[in-house]
This record gives sequence, structure tokens and C-alpha cells, in this order.
Amino acid sequence: MAENHTDHEHIGIPGYLAVFAILIVGTWITYVVAFWDLDSIFPGANTLLALAIAFTKMTVVMLYFMHVRWSKELIWLSAVASFFWLLIMFAFTMQDYFTRVSGVFSA
Amino acid sequence: MQNADAFNPSLMREPKDSYLTNGYSIKSWLLTKDHKRIALMYLISISVFFFMGGLYAAAIRLELLTPGSDLLQSATYNKAFTQHGILMIFFFLIPSIPATLGNFLLPLMIGAKDLALPRINLLSLYLYWIGGILTLYALMQGGVDTGWTFYTPYSTTFSNSYVMAVGLGIFINGFSSILTGLNFIVTIHTMRAPGMTWFRLPLFVWAHYATSLVMILGTPVVAITILLLAIERVVRVGIFDPAIGGDPILFQHLFWFYSHPAVYIMILPGMGVISEVISNFSRKKIFGYEFIAFSSIAIAVFGFLVWGHHMFVSGQSIYAGLVFSFLTMVVAVPSAIKVFNWTATMYKGSISYDTPMLYAIGFLGLFLVGGLTGLFLGSVGLTVHLTDTYFVVAHFHYVMVGGQVIAYLAGIHYWWPKMTGKMYSEFWGKVSAMLVFVGFNLTFFPQFILGYQGMPRRYASYPAEFQVLNVFSTAGASVLGVGLVMPVVYLTHSIFAGKPAGDNPWMLPGLEWRCQSPPTTFNFEEQPVVTWEAYEFGEENGLDIEEARRSAGRPVTV
Amino acid sequence: MQTDSWIPLFPESASSFSWQVDALYFYLIAISVAFMIPIVAAIFWFIVRYREREKFATPEEIHGSIVLETVWSIIPFIISMTIFLGGAVVYYTQYRPPDDAMQVYVVGKQWMWKIQHETGQREINQLHVPVNTKVKLTMTTEDVLHDFSIPAFRTKADVVPGRYTYLWFEATKPGTYHLFCAEYCGLNHSGMIGSVVVLEQDDFERWLQGNASNQTPVEQGRDLFENKLGCASCHAAGSGQRGAALENIYGKEVKFVGGGSAIVDDEYLRNSILNPSSQVVEGYQPIMPTFKGQVTEEQLIALVAYIKSLSGVDASAAAPSAPAAPAPAPANNMGSNSNQGGR
Repeated sequence: MAENHTDHEHIGIPGYLAVFAILIVGTWITYVVAFWDLDSIFPGANTLLALAIAFTKMTVVMLYFMHVRWSKELIWLSAVASFFWLLIMFAFTMQDYFTRVSGVFSA
Repeated sequence: MQNADAFNPSLMREPKDSYLTNGYSIKSWLLTKDHKRIALMYLISISVFFFMGGLYAAAIRLELLTPGSDLLQSATYNKAFTQHGILMIFFFLIPSIPATLGNFLLPLMIGAKDLALPRINLLSLYLYWIGGILTLYALMQGGVDTGWTFYTPYSTTFSNSYVMAVGLGIFINGFSSILTGLNFIVTIHTMRAPGMTWFRLPLFVWAHYATSLVMILGTPVVAITILLLAIERVVRVGIFDPAIGGDPILFQHLFWFYSHPAVYIMILPGMGVISEVISNFSRKKIFGYEFIAFSSIAIAVFGFLVWGHHMFVSGQSIYAGLVFSFLTMVVAVPSAIKVFNWTATMYKGSISYDTPMLYAIGFLGLFLVGGLTGLFLGSVGLTVHLTDTYFVVAHFHYVMVGGQVIAYLAGIHYWWPKMTGKMYSEFWGKVSAMLVFVGFNLTFFPQFILGYQGMPRRYASYPAEFQVLNVFSTAGASVLGVGLVMPVVYLTHSIFAGKPAGDNPWMLPGLEWRCQSPPTTFNFEEQPVVTWEAYEFGEENGLDIEEARRSAGRPVTV
Repeated sequence: MQTDSWIPLFPESASSFSWQVDALYFYLIAISVAFMIPIVAAIFWFIVRYREREKFATPEEIHGSIVLETVWSIIPFIISMTIFLGGAVVYYTQYRPPDDAMQVYVVGKQWMWKIQHETGQREINQLHVPVNTKVKLTMTTEDVLHDFSIPAFRTKADVVPGRYTYLWFEATKPGTYHLFCAEYCGLNHSGMIGSVVVLEQDDFERWLQGNASNQTPVEQGRDLFENKLGCASCHAAGSGQRGAALENIYGKEVKFVGGGSAIVDDEYLRNSILNPSSQVVEGYQPIMPTFKGQVTEEQLIALVAYIKSLSGVDASAAAPSAPAAPAPAPANNMGSNSNQGGR
């Protein structure tokens, strides 16, 4: 984004390779933990762990690969806003699913 | 400020080098980075899609003239309304004002040479073409019959039509929309002329800023939804079809998360055009500038919280229905604020009855009906009866045609002299504005009554008792059709035989009127510096009004 | 279906809550007119009174008014809240089926409605109901989305594959009314229409007798349970019982292996037949095979009705045509509907 910056100023080729390595390792961990039976701890634990790993990978991509870490406040605002919108989508969709069980508001 | 001669109509010199005359080869158009040429190519492409969508509309109205399905069989009728919806929504309504008027005017209005990302702008046009051609190809091959909403599991499991090709077309076209939105936001942030502060921006620019936010935040979701639909249809992964473990209502949530805000992608730029036209043709500073500007942003934000009002009878929980109904009522308020401010703007103005203003006044009336019937449909108990009937059809045509298309026509007429340097026939302009208004009301008002009587939408045949009102509707559609074809004729004619318009035919203060008509490739000969607020019509603002009156060649009536 | 109303082009209004919808409709029309008239009058007044008298005139500037802006933000907000509340009240009436309603089962299919009464009578594209009796429809579909819409009763609801949705009404006038499919469902969508015939109490009795039923849903379900599908080999009480006991479970809470619990309702029972391994009740092994693809939606409805009858719910012996009869079962919280659609 900012002028006169080249990629190498930030993390350079080794940095990008490190990001790549993190992503590969993350994928591998996702694969391995899929075989653990975490749902016996509480239902949905497997999904939660997979999502947590995916979220970590995404954060690394955004911060380093997409240079958000070195960007201006406006870029940060845009990046955060998109998550806020994602949150809206999930929250308002889930308010439907979670209120379909028996109760005063169920059909 | 620029030298006064630059916008003095008495010096009607032949434009040296306008963007139109700067190169005539096909290559100079197809590889252009000029926002104005891209806008013009968009204008032509969009008109083609509008015309095709209109043909489907004509077929639908003719079929509904009689209760039986005699002109079109059910199979053909289902494809006709699906393709009417897809062409009109994705290839006309969504790109229409932003990609043509927005593309053309945004840099002019903020005093810039071009958009911030000219190559991206050209790319968005190409993506629009690729998506459009793919969709047209699918329609030629046999079309699609799922309804433009692609509800699952019909679209993923049961339909044998070209769902994948059309889905891909819409997917690609979505990126065109995202790129346009991105380009506008970057341009408005970085390319404003010196002195052009945020609160000196014309409201057209504010409306496009709000629209661009919706485009960027909403469109990726519909792209992902179509991708999921494709995965289910091709690889049979259970996402939406309950037979393989999916949930059809999830599709509706995802689809409407984009497609309701998409309604605001369509109407917000139209509201921007109306703000411009009403203020400029009343020669009056817009009433409540900040309220109109921020109501656009409020609509863009709250518009994301109301999608569930499309799903009141879909099987979502009663609680969700109540929440979405409440938020729908809240989002009605900013629209009401706009209507009140537009009306108040005309108070003590100097109102001329030029064609754009006639369209704008028509917009006020039709949008009022469209908005108020929106309250009917937001009121959840009433909607259980009204949804999926012709009441809904009438409501969204009042907003989309009565609102957006009328605003688009107002804008095309208003800026036509700037885009082409020629003046269209004012007489035929007024005739067509009247025909559109009358034809439109005759077409769609009877559908409100049909809807309350319970006639369901998307029916190729219907019980005979509904016929009378359908005949009215079809009759009105023919008037509307004539009214919509006329501008194509007289506007095209004006390019070749119209009077030269001059740089500023209406003596207006906006920056777009302070450059040559048609503008040169880089818009302004020197960097404009803005020292005035938006919508100031006085002579102290550099407008040589006395000279303009003389050259207009009309006696000054007092 | 022509209306006998004194308002032209107004549809027949024939259910216990249709007047509420009409009242809301007229309230909204009144509000619309109250907004339209002053605004349109103002527009016309302004464009005539302040028309252009001098080319390119520069009228006096008016910047706006905070007072006016506040007034015309707050008044529409208050009015819109009354509309919301009105709609919410009506919606609640429309979508909360009463406990003491007569049961009818509806299965949608491209492009017909298959209807079965609790007493066994089957109909296609026609629904006969007695007047002044609460009727509750339990609906599902074999293929795509449909929507059971009765304009004269001012109600409709989508019929969703993979789960049950419910609709209820109490017809107030004998007559024949339109039944439409209101959710686009493919080729012959506009042919998926029928009629709802509302009969006087006596006529309805006669109609029931004239269409003597072969099997009630509960009987059909018992037949499936004991013979055709062989559910009884595991679920019947006795030494061979390996599956969960089904007596008196309806409306109770069950706990699952691995945590979680659910209230037993129609949706739960349906899901347990189709996806047994997704909700194994504590104390049992996940040995039940899925019956997905082996039972039709109509058979599922019968099975659910039978299992419910084991808990004393909705015994088909209770004459549905007698409105005076009390609700047949105590634990009849039929308004329930679990969130398993979201699995």
C-alpha cells in the first residue's frame, strides 16, 4: 500500500517461506486432530479446534502475506470491519437456529 | 477557481479534443483506461441487457393476459420469469447507475483526472462482459428455471436447466461489482481536488460511497453461496439439500445476506441522482445535506441486518422473524428522512420543468408508494398473507422500476449533454417521462390488489377471477414499454442531430459542469480548486448567469 | 370464491384471525394515505408556487432545520413501531398452533398435496375441514420447498424437506376456498393448486363416513412398527429389547451419549428414525441402522403418530370432529420443533 515499500523491506523471501511453512504445518495439524475424538469432551470440540487452526492461518496470511501489519489505520479499519460483518452474518443466522427449539418463540 | 471563460456558454467553440474524438480505432476503445469511455461502453452493454430483460417481461405480461397457460407453456414461462429476474437484477439494476453514471461522473465531480485504479476499472468491464456472455450463452442453450433466487434443493438437485453456467456468470459478474466498489472507495478517499472536503462532496458521491461499501461487504457472500451451490450440485456434498444432510433454509440466509443489501446497491445511487436533480433543478441548496448523506450510510449499514424479512414464512423461528421485522421498521426511517428532505428542498426554489426534473418528481411519488408498501411487507403478521403474492411483485417493481429505473433515466437525461455534448429533444423527453409514469402505475398498481386477493407469484396460469386486473396490468405494460423505448430513439438521434449543448446548459455550479462538454480525456485543463460548498447557485460562485440568459436566447420573464 | 364483501376486489375473509390481518392492512392503508396526501400536496404546491419565473434565478438559501429533521425522524419511527407491534401480535397468533387442535397431515410433492386425516381419510389437493374447529397441519415434503397457502384464511407457511412445519387455522364460514402452492417448486408450480372445503359440523361427519378410512395414521404406524419395518424386534419391551423404550417418552427430555439432550418431539422422532447414530440415548448402543430411503414421508408421519400414541398423545380414538372434547393428552406440547434442521 504505502509508496516506496518493497516486499523485502518487511519480511523478505525467508519471511514468505516461513508463512508458507506455517500454513503447511497448520494444514497438517488440522488433518491429524481430525482423528482425535474431542467431541467426547464437549460436543463440537473437533470443529472448534479446526476453526481455531484455520483462524490462526488466516491471521498470519493477513498480517504478513498481505502486509496489514505495516499498513495504515484505514486499512486496519477495513480489515476489522469485514470481520465485524462476518460476525453479523453468523450472529443473525444463528439467532434463527438457536431459537427454533421448543419455547415461547418456536413455531 | 478556474477562469470564467471555461464555463461560459457564449464561447461555443468546437471541442478540440474530447474523450470521444481522442482516437477512433476499436483498439483505442477496448484498451482505454479512460473512465468516460468505459462508462459509455457500460451504458451500451447495460442497455442491451435491459432490452433483453424487457423482452422477457413482455412475454410474461402477454402470457398473463389470459388465465390459462396458452401463449407460453409452464416450462417456458418459468424460464421467462427466471431470466427476466437474472438479467434485470444482476446485469442491469446492480451495475446500471454506478457503472455508467458513477463511472463517468465520480472523477468529474470530485475534480480528478480519472478513477484511482483505471486498469481495474477496465478489468471490471471485461468481467461484466465475460459474466454476461456466459449467462447469455446459457440462456441460448436452454436457459434456467429456478427463479432468480436459486432456492435449494430445487436448484441443486431437481432442476435440469443450466444452473451451473448461469451461476458462474453471476459469480464472475460479482467480481466486476466488487472491483467497481473498491475503485470508488479508493477514488473518493484519495483523489478529491484541493478544497473538496467530505462535506462539500455532491450527494451523488456520498450515495456512491455508501453503495460501494455494500458492494464490497456483501458481494463476496453471494459469490461464496453460489460456489457452495455448485459444490452441492456437482460433487453432491450435503450443504443445502436435506436428503444428503444439508439445510435449505441456510441457503436462504446466505443468499439474502447479500441479496437484500443488493437492493440498496440498486436504490442508493438512484437516491444520489435524485438528490442532485432536485437540488439543481430547484436551484436551491439541498435541505439537510448532512442528514441525506448520513442516511445513505445508515441505510447501507442497517440494510445488512434485515435480510430475514424475506424469510418470514420460510420456517425460520418466530423469534428471528420478530427481530428482523423490528429492524426492517428501523431501516424505513432513513428513507423517510430522505423523502422529507427532497420535498423541503423544493420549498422557495426556482423549479424548472426540464425532463430530468419531471423524472425526479415521478420518482418521489413512486418511491413513496414503494416505500410505504415496504412497511406492509415489513409488518410480519401481514406479510404471512402477502408474501409470495403479487403484492410483493408490485412492491419491488415500485422500488426498482419506479425508483431505480426512473432515477437512472433522470440521470441519463440530466448528464446527457455532458456525456455527448448534445442536447436531446426536450419535447420528446417530456412525453416519454409522462408515458413511463402513467404506464408504470397502470402496470403495477393493480398488482397490489391482486396480491391482497391472494394471487401467487410465478404462476403461468391462474384462476379466472384474477383476469380483469391482469388485463389492466398488461395494458399498462405496453404503455410503459413505449415510454421506455422512446429515449433510446431520441437520445440516439440527438448524438447525430442534436443542438450542441455547451459546457453548462443549465448554469449549475457542480464541478462536472465546469469542464468541457464532452470532457477532454483528462477532464480538467488545470487542477480545479474548490472554494465553494455544494449546491451554491449564486453569481459569486463564478457562474456568469447574465451572459447565460442572453445566450439562451429567451426573453427574461420577471 | 367471489367475495360477498362490500369492498370491491376484496378477498373472502374466513378464519378466526383473518380479521386481524385485515385490520392491520387497513391501518397501514390509513397511514400510507396520511403520509401520501400531505407530501404529494406539498410537492404539487411547491412545483406550481415556486416554478421558474426567471431563467437561472438564485433563490435564497435555506440550509435545513434540526427541529424539522428531528420531528420527521421521530414521528415515522414511532409509527413504524406501532406497525411492528401490530404485525408481531398477529404473527404470534398465526404461527402458534393451539394445543387442542384437530390434526391433519400434509405431504407436498411435485406437484400435488397429499393430505391425511387423523381418522385415516386421504385426500389429494383437497382439504375438508369442519367449521369453527381449530385445525393444525403438520407438513413436510418429499422433494423441494412448497408453501401451503390459503388466502381466505390469511395464512401460509413454507413446507420444508427434512423437517416439519406447522400451520393452523379455525375456519369461520362454510365454503370452498383456494389452496395455492406459494413457493416456486418447478415445472408445474401453477398447477399445484386445490381447494379447502369448509363444511358444517354434520356435513363433515357425513363426509368422514362417506370416505371410510382403511387405516388411521396410528394404525398404519403400528403396522409398520410391528410388521413391515420390524422396529418392534428391538424396541418392544421384553428380554430382546435392545433399543430405547418408546413408551411415555413424548415431551420428556432424553440425554445423549457424549453429552447433550433434547426434548422428544415430532422432529426428534423423525430424525431418530433417519439418523439414529447422531443422537444415541444414554444407556444404549449405536446399533440402529438408518431408515433413510426406506420409509416415505407419509410412513414417517404414521410412525411418529404411532410412537406418540405410546405416550398417550393424540390417540386417534379421540373424535377430532367434536370440538367440545378436551385435548386428548396432557403432554401435548405440539408447538415444539427442534433445531435439528441446522445439523
